[in-house]
Amino acid sequence: MTCLLASHLTFYLTMRVILVVWLALLILSCKEQEVSNPYQFVIPDNFPESKYSFQNNPITKDGFELGRMLFYDPILSRDETVSCSSCHQQHVAFADPLHVLSIGVDERVGTRNALPIQNMAFQQFFFWDGGVNHLDFVPINAITNPVEFDESVGDIVDKLNASSFYKNQFNKAFGEKEVTSQKVLHALSQFMVLMISANSRYDKYIRNEGELLSTQEQRGLLLFKQNCANCHSTDLFTNGDFLNNGLDTDENLDEGRARITEFNEDKGKFKVPSLRNVALTDPYMHDGRFNTLKEVLQHYSNGIKTSSTVDNRLFTNNSPGLSLTEDEQNDIIAFLQTLTDESFIKDKRFSAPLMPKQ
Amino acid sequence: MKNIFIAITILFSAFVFIQCTEDEVTSTENGTLKLEFDNVVGTSNLQLNTSNFAFENALGEDFKVTWLSYYISEVRLKKEDGTYFVDPVAFDGSTGFYLIDEADAESHVIELKDVPPGSYTEVTFKIGVDASQMTQGAQTGPLDPSIGLFWSWNSGYIFFAMEGASPVSTAEGNALVYHVGGYKTLDGSPNLVNNIKEITLTFNGDNPIVDADEDPQVHIIMDLKKFFNGPAGNISFASNSVRHSPASCVDVAQNMAAAFNVDHIHQ
Ligand code: HEC
Ligand code: HEC
Repeated sequence: MTCLLASHLTFYLTMRVILVVWLALLILSCKEQEVSNPYQFVIPDNFPESKYSFQNNPITKDGFELGRMLFYDPILSRDETVSCSSCHQQHVAFADPLHVLSIGVDERVGTRNALPIQNMAFQQFFFWDGGVNHLDFVPINAITNPVEFDESVGDIVDKLNASSFYKNQFNKAFGEKEVTSQKVLHALSQFMVLMISANSRYDKYIRNEGELLSTQEQRGLLLFKQNCANCHSTDLFTNGDFLNNGLDTDENLDEGRARITEFNEDKGKFKVPSLRNVALTDPYMHDGRFNTLKEVLQHYSNGIKTSSTVDNRLFTNNSPGLSLTEDEQNDIIAFLQTLTDESFIKDKRFSAPLMPKQ
Repeated sequence: MKNIFIAITILFSAFVFIQCTEDEVTSTENGTLKLEFDNVVGTSNLQLNTSNFAFENALGEDFKVTWLSYYISEVRLKKEDGTYFVDPVAFDGSTGFYLIDEADAESHVIELKDVPPGSYTEVTFKIGVDASQMTQGAQTGPLDPSIGLFWSWNSGYIFFAMEGASPVSTAEGNALVYHVGGYKTLDGSPNLVNNIKEITLTFNGDNPIVDADEDPQVHIIMDLKKFFNGPAGNISFASNSVRHSPASCVDVAQNMAAAFNVDHIHQ
């Protein structure tokens, strides 16, 4: 009798121990999943709040993977020769490494230098003139632009609906086989909002993650703060404003932001671009006129052209230019190079997916 | 004699009272109210793709119409007791937005469902798709961009589109193009225009009564002649045949808001 009781008791106790251990393991594994889920949107410590409407388009692995396939698939262009990745390549932070002005279908030449795609979830205005104010609407522009895909949104939806492969992917991602433009745009956004670049040497230095900057790089950072950070501000390196940084005189001013605002005083103004990965995203400026950072620094130093809309932050003692010495320019360039994020441009999540033969 | 009068009055009011309460009792179920949008040019019914220049603006310039579409959104009905029925709006545009397309007769009637019973005095709606909707991202249903009413370069919907031709137009092919849009207003950019118009049309005492058995229909007229000649001026096809950006549409947008009228109500 006592024996039976004792054995019952030990059985009961072991069960309890097993239960506790099992629960602890469960909690641990959950925790681990939380930090390592590669499809979760996590705001880096040194970044501002995000701007994307996640509540309407929550990221899932399947949604992200679908967006990735669409990004790399020329099915989106009229003659199926051009994909998003033709002009936005990972090894240069999704800018265009080959062309000053991007080339679309039929080798048509655009009027703008491709912008890199990075940290899109934190951006309010897209394109050089800021004409688009939500990431979901960005691809519509590329799709319908005659110098890019020259295709209609409706035709793309029809092409995707005709593909049993894609219908399955849409079903996995959104629970419905039927392809709609909204799902195409949501998938592309899911892919793009996770493209966060926040692991450059500068980031690790600023977040005290054991990285040190050389004395030249530190001098460059200081000079950058004094001369550039009133426009290229925050750790996104842009104040989000539209400004004229002295590229042209009044006779040659590009329409710029005025195309959207229809306001003459916005002529020649462009979005202040982020400078993350800037060492990789040459050529520079909206029309790709400068090939090197050296040329950019020379421009800011003594190439500023005056016009009715040029920004007065680019003047020193009432004369145009920031008048930086040769050494100061080199220091700033050394600092800009610390913004290169190797882990971003090598991140397997963003590389070309393996597509099944169709 | 006097007493009989009083008695009759009392009886009558009691009767009315009973009728009223009876009325309220029978119609606790929600019903439907329809808004019909009828596009006209002055006194003529609008027809698309006429072989000749069948219509005339207030300046006597002839024209024809090949395309006429507009968005109606955020519809509200005001009840006699001052309360509102608000047509629900979905974040993705799947409800609460209506594309009235002259080429598609079915689209001319908006059905407001689940309207509480009662007598309604006015209707309020917006023409277009405003900023609060645009911040929600990709839209669907009547707002699917593949419908072709989306400005990709200056992201936003065309609220009201009219295309056609006039012999006096100096544009290629004598074209007339009026695309009204523009909802962006930003701090520090006072020059960006918001062409969203919210209009209220009263039923002037001819109130539609909604209950479970009756689907009253409000017949609204949109007069294209007023779109070209209204409070913001008289638009000449000879000098102003193409408008397709927010700032250039400020005047036609004001005219547009005055082009809608309640004509009559079918109870
Ligand atoms: C023919 C080349 C080309 C193709 C194809 C192309 N883009 Fe672009 N992209 C550009 C250029 C050029 C710009 C900058 C244009 C401007 O600002 O006027 C740009 C800008 C962008 C931006 C804005 C970045 C910012 O900071 O504002 C995003 C996002 C983007 N493209 C995503 C895409 C996606 C998604 C696709 C595929 C659906 C795509 N692009 C296809 C050339 C291209
Ligand atoms: C008055 C605001 C302002 C200041 C100050 C400023 N910039 Fe800029 N920067 C801009 C604008 C606006 C552009 C985009 C201009 C264009 O393309 O038309 C730009 C573009 C750039 C680009 C090109 C990026 C690309 O992707 O094409 C680089 C690099 C750059 N700036 C670096 C600097 C440096 C370094 C400094 C300080 C020496 C500096 N900027 C100071 C406003 C400013």
